[in-house]
Amino acid sequence: MVHYIIICRSLTYAQRTAKVLERAGITAIVMRPPEDIAGEGCSYGVKLRQRNLTQALKLLKDAGMSHGKVYLLRPGGSVEVEE
Amino acid sequence: MIYFDNAATTLIKPENVRRAMYSAIGKLASPGRGGHSAAMAAAEKAYECRNVAAKLFGVPEPERVVFTMNATHALNIAIKTLAHKNDRVVISGYEHNSVLRPLNAIDAQVCVAASPLFDEDAAVYAFNEALKTGTKLAVINYVSNVFGYILPVERIAELCKAREIPFIIDASQGAGVLEIDFQRLGADFIAMPGHKGLYGPQGTGILLCGRSGEPLIEGGSGSDSRLPTMPEYLPDRLEAGTHNMPGIAGLLEGMNFVSRLGEKRIFRHERELLAEAVKQMRELDEVEVYSGENMQRQSGVLSFNIKGLDCQSAAAKLAARDVAVRAGLHCSPLAHKTAGTEQGTVRISFSAFNTRREVLQFIGEIKSIIHATRCNRGNSMI
Repeated sequence: MVHYIIICRSLTYAQRTAKVLERAGITAIVMRPPEDIAGEGCSYGVKLRQRNLTQALKLLKDAGMSHGKVYLLRPGGSVEVEE
Repeated sequence: MIYFDNAATTLIKPENVRRAMYSAIGKLASPGRGGHSAAMAAAEKAYECRNVAAKLFGVPEPERVVFTMNATHALNIAIKTLAHKNDRVVISGYEHNSVLRPLNAIDAQVCVAASPLFDEDAAVYAFNEALKTGTKLAVINYVSNVFGYILPVERIAELCKAREIPFIIDASQGAGVLEIDFQRLGADFIAMPGHKGLYGPQGTGILLCGRSGEPLIEGGSGSDSRLPTMPEYLPDRLEAGTHNMPGIAGLLEGMNFVSRLGEKRIFRHERELLAEAVKQMRELDEVEVYSGENMQRQSGVLSFNIKGLDCQSAAAKLAARDVAVRAGLHCSPLAHKTAGTEQGTVRISFSAFNTRREVLQFIGEIKSIIHATRCNRGNSMI
């Protein structure tokens, strides 16, 4: 199954992001991203299924919530995606 | 024991507080310090606690709820963010040492907007006069920890906002008893302890942030770890070091208790106890009670003195009768100076768990102390 991760500026912000998505029925898991995309280190992100990404980004935009980069999670290394 | 020292710490807690803390010790690790289940469970609990606090106090985002050790810690962050050496800072005449000492430490130019007890208009007038051009900060005590005097914080906040003067509210005695609407008040910071009216454990506190603050301490935040400085964003910026998870879990249950009952109901209960105590004590010639005519601007905190008996001796006699009260200056010498009680007072303070029966028992003990003292002095109290 293909997953994406939305990078958030803090753990608390990632949790709020996940709550917004969960309220809309999107399964969103707060997690630490792989080290290659961790930015300044020890960041957090919200993982979700590929099919939910577009709706998730729209929900966040509608809720006025900013977010960091979005990555496709792959075993060999994550790939940044265009929104 | 009759416990009437709730303005210091609410000793009797809801049962859920105890349970949550016990459970947290075995199950919750550190939020932001790992992706394993115990760390994430801690993160979830911390977030839930921030969220409940945000809802209870009208804060728009949970990130603006910062965990501290207590209200003093929160006030130190707020004051040292907004005031610096030689800055003119206006404070009420009822501030605690948790405001006075940080201001003294940074060598601020402190101006006291002093006004008589329980006089709302006088308090607003005093602030109106004191908030001159060049004032860098105002600090407003919501409720005096000595007298239970509820200051007109909303009216004073309006004065500050109209003059674009940043202000801090010390809600140590108001949180959990009086409704606090952070957004409506428009404060830069509101500080409160977890262990008083929010029924959490000691070692917990909250700083509500209307803006970012300057860290009082630096260290690990579990975020942006490659940076040599604290992150710019809240709450991480102001929360260096491992969180007090048993405390946060307990505080969450304490706030859930307050949310369930509602501040209005808790306030009404404490006010009924206050009214009973004041009524009974005013009938005793030997007791001087510091309360307004109709108690309109008073919470469930009451100061008094027994004539001919110093406050510490009175408190010791009550302690010997298993009644817990506080005596002395209550870490608020300024409040006593403002009110003209520099010799100190005996203070009783109620919580949701106190009863009218306890008040009546307490009055009985006061009468007994007066009688015993009178007998020892040959019928004269003076």
